Amino acid sequence: MSALLTVRGLRKQHGERLLFAIDEFTLDAASAYVLTGANGVGKSTLLRILGGLEAAQVDSVTFDGKPFNLQPYPKALRTAIVYVHQHPIMFSTSVWHNIAYGLLARGESKAVVKKTVEEAMCWAGVDYLRDTEPARLSGGEKQRVALARARVLQPRLLLLDEPTANLDGSAREGVIALIPTLIEQGSTVVMACHDRDLIGLPGVQRLKLKDGRLEHRPHRTDDAAP
Amino acid sequence: MTLWEATQHAFALLFSGDAALWHIVWVSIKTSIIGLLLATPPAVLLGYAIAMNRFPGRRIAVWLAQCALSLPTVLIGLLLYLLLSRRGPLGPLEWLFSQSGIIAGQFVVGMPVLLAFTLAAVQALDPRYAETARALGASRWRVMTTVLHEARYGVMAAVISGFGRVISEVGCALMVGGNIQGETRTITTAIALETSKGEFAQGIALGIVLVTLALVMNGALMLLQGEAHTAGGRI
Repeated sequence: MSALLTVRGLRKQHGERLLFAIDEFTLDAASAYVLTGANGVGKSTLLRILGGLEAAQVDSVTFDGKPFNLQPYPKALRTAIVYVHQHPIMFSTSVWHNIAYGLLARGESKAVVKKTVEEAMCWAGVDYLRDTEPARLSGGEKQRVALARARVLQPRLLLLDEPTANLDGSAREGVIALIPTLIEQGSTVVMACHDRDLIGLPGVQRLKLKDGRLEHRPHRTDDAAP
Repeated sequence: MTLWEATQHAFALLFSGDAALWHIVWVSIKTSIIGLLLATPPAVLLGYAIAMNRFPGRRIAVWLAQCALSLPTVLIGLLLYLLLSRRGPLGPLEWLFSQSGIIAGQFVVGMPVLLAFTLAAVQALDPRYAETARALGASRWRVMTTVLHEARYGVMAAVISGFGRVISEVGCALMVGGNIQGETRTITTAIALETSKGEFAQGIALGIVLVTLALVMNGALMLLQGEAHTAGGRI
């Protein structure tokens, strides 16, 4: 499987305190990862750095075979990588407009936006929320709208910050059920989560952030191989 | 003249369509609105820029913006007077004792209120709005329009407060405008003058107009704001 993103020498400091120093890690194309680790270990920070929302020191970044700097965050990465908050916030326009936001920002034609947004609303099962005020959505609904909002951009790399945190029962299942289709469409998905609510999707690889280092554990089928 | 008689006289003046009185009202409204329209775009842009960016001296900029809120308008009037007087650097404009001069004064008086309130509104906004916009690939301009849209209640409050400040200030309009009858006499400068002459009726009449204007403008802006969320949530 080809490498999508390789990062070398990534260091993040909060003032004097070193949050993490990661020698190297690689994310493969069209693969799924869970990023685990205790609270405060820097899972969100790592995703936010990759998503261009936070600064860090880095030796080299290779995306799709091309070298990049993270500062200033290049446009090519901005188009290819989308970060989704743990508690996504909805623009106070409409559910439809929230999903269309990124496409409109890219200057897509009206016809393309309309078609893509309609598809994404069906995919996320939020069609019935068309006329609902975004602020009134439940946590699970917001998360699904946020996934639809990211999916319409067809990102190569999708960074989900604890997508199922604080969701339970059907809301949680509703969100988890969407993730395999994201991988099928060719996106690499990294989900931050806690060990205890490790998302049990088939073929998911595990990255563990511990004591400022990142450990990569291939998925279980590899473990079982002779 | 008792207060009651003066008030009765004031209403008589208002409803008799006294031309001089309504001209004063017109000058006040015109200069305030033009001054505010000119001050709002740069103040909102600057407030947004200070709120959203980290740069050296940012804290000083915030401090100065907030200090400017408490600048006495007579002091602004004095500085403008010196700038606009015949020998001042802006003398060739010939704005002193003209409505243009008053508008310039309203611009300077309104600016700090608009800037500081916009700054506070944008700063108080959940940072996830701007982050989400950026994560979804919005340009800097689109991030700004998105953030200002989300902060619109605060920005509207800035405009309401700015209007309140410019329509009610007297020091700057008096010094730069000169309180010339039929030219630069505004509601507040007229009230000051009429009171000093002992002509309370016109002062009260203008006071009533000023309060009515404040009610109408605030009401209109509230309607524009739409239904703002209450802090305690809704039932």
